[in-house]
Amino acid sequence: MTPLLRIAMPKGSLYAESVRRLAKAGIIVPNDTGRRLTVLTEDGRAELLLLRPSDVPAYVEFGAADCGIVGKDTLWESERSVRELADLEFGHCRLVVAARREDRYHEGARYPTFLRVATKFGRSAQTYFSERDLPCEIIALHGSVELAPIVGLADVIVDLVVTGSTLREHDMVVVDEIDTTSARLVVNSIGFRTKYAAIMNLLDRLKETPA
Amino acid sequence: MRLPPGVRDWLPQELAFKRDVEERIREVFRSWSYSEVLTPTFESYESLERGLGEKLMQQTFRFTDPLGQALALRTEMTTPIARVVSARLRTASLPLRLSYIATAFRYEEPQLGRMREFTQAGAELIGASRLDADAEVLFMAIQTVDAVGLTDTRFDINDQAIVDGAIVGVGFIGSEIQRVKEFVADRNLPALTALRGHPGIDNQRFDILLRLALARGGTDVLDLARSICATPESIAALERLALLLARCADLGYASRIGIDFALLRDLEYYTGFVFEGYIDDLGFSLCGGGRYDHLLPRFGFDTPAVGWMIGVERILLALERRRADERPRNEVDLLVSGSDQLAAQQRALGLRVRSEVLGLTRAQMIAYARHKEIPRLLIYSDGQVEELLLSSEDK
Repeated sequence: MTPLLRIAMPKGSLYAESVRRLAKAGIIVPNDTGRRLTVLTEDGRAELLLLRPSDVPAYVEFGAADCGIVGKDTLWESERSVRELADLEFGHCRLVVAARREDRYHEGARYPTFLRVATKFGRSAQTYFSERDLPCEIIALHGSVELAPIVGLADVIVDLVVTGSTLREHDMVVVDEIDTTSARLVVNSIGFRTKYAAIMNLLDRLKETPA
Repeated sequence: MRLPPGVRDWLPQELAFKRDVEERIREVFRSWSYSEVLTPTFESYESLERGLGEKLMQQTFRFTDPLGQALALRTEMTTPIARVVSARLRTASLPLRLSYIATAFRYEEPQLGRMREFTQAGAELIGASRLDADAEVLFMAIQTVDAVGLTDTRFDINDQAIVDGAIVGVGFIGSEIQRVKEFVADRNLPALTALRGHPGIDNQRFDILLRLALARGGTDVLDLARSICATPESIAALERLALLLARCADLGYASRIGIDFALLRDLEYYTGFVFEGYIDDLGFSLCGGGRYDHLLPRFGFDTPAVGWMIGVERILLALERRRADERPRNEVDLLVSGSDQLAAQQRALGLRVRSEVLGLTRAQMIAYARHKEIPRLLIYSDGQVEELLLSSEDK
């Protein structure tokens, strides 16, 4: 039997809560997935693809998955065309501009005329500074972005913040909030139509679930 | 030598497959009495620009000739056809029925189902504004996908006026309407939901709009839309779609047609009725079309039009996935050796005749014919014609 729905799942920070939400919606994901790339639910009604979060939009856009769970921040950075059916109201973070406290940008000190921005969110950062007519150079990094201003690689960073403790540890402060992100249910525009009943059912049950 | 990204070669078997599909499409176009036209692969950028929205403009391959004139490769066929009709077929009696099967070019990231050079087949019905014209292009599209063997293709239909009428009915005004419409087209529910409580809107009606943004179905969707649609245009469009559903049902298409309230193809281009055809195993649509009453007036010819198109490579992609094990057809009926006249006679009979050009011996020819699955040999030697028939058991 072919599974009713193929769902692209983000490994990493959104995974545990995604599994919990799906379970409440009646899709039980086995606990021990080991190193597997795909998992079938016990009742065979859904197949889960275990993916890097940034790969979720591609699997959904090409219809390899019917739907997926992914952070809004990943959608900002992706050029993939997917339909965003619901805000699942978990995995909340803020995307912020942050800098060293001593640079006093948070107190209104002027940015250098050509700003160096270290970030994993190049598209969002570029849009933010372009909209404010601030010329900038994006320095694309993949981790520990906080290090960049400390060692003089960048003037500011653009990064996701949950509690702000990482920033405080490095004596950094938020200069401005760009946007807030949370987990979204996304679908392929054709898959939404061909598996309409199954996806609407999932959507209803995910929405009923209290956060 | 490598090809640039987004283009491909067509080797004999692949091309035969493509031509076969194109011929089936052409047959349907003929049966609806459409006349095929062809426009130049490139023309002046200025004239293509008139028909294209912003996105297609950015995807246009542009270049200049040695005199500095700005030229561009066509990105689709409807704009060139609108130009031809306005410039050269104005005095023809309307409506005009024109079809095409032609390549077009777009600069975009090559990926599955999206190449930089691709083939579109389509038809334009120019000079008719009634529902009958909308129905004609939809029925043609259904018959075309059936003719190429994709009989499980399903179609969703909608009308932009309904979405406009619903958005106005909720209480949005001015530039908000376009913004809300884009959220509907993207099925961006979080962005739409955030507009709840927007000044001037009716929240109860807004909640119906939210339901509509997810709605697919039949007359139930029309009824739901009717409860909030406020403009005369939208009420009329609802009536037209209801009628179109009934006409589809009369032809036995009921189970293949649905209303999708959020189906809004290219907003800069289409003006009313729109449709899209899709199958389960492709994550993108197979074909689509609709009414584009504003295009011909941009070329100075004030007349309505409706049309549709299908991506030929997308058909091939869908068929290849299904017929993976189907053997290519034998393309030669006969091998002739030793006589030009004999070969000419057989070709005149309409057979596909291959001449022997390698100087093979009789035994080598038989082996060759078996290998190539050629069923018949004519060998001329010393004034004698020898005919050999190779039955399939011989292989």
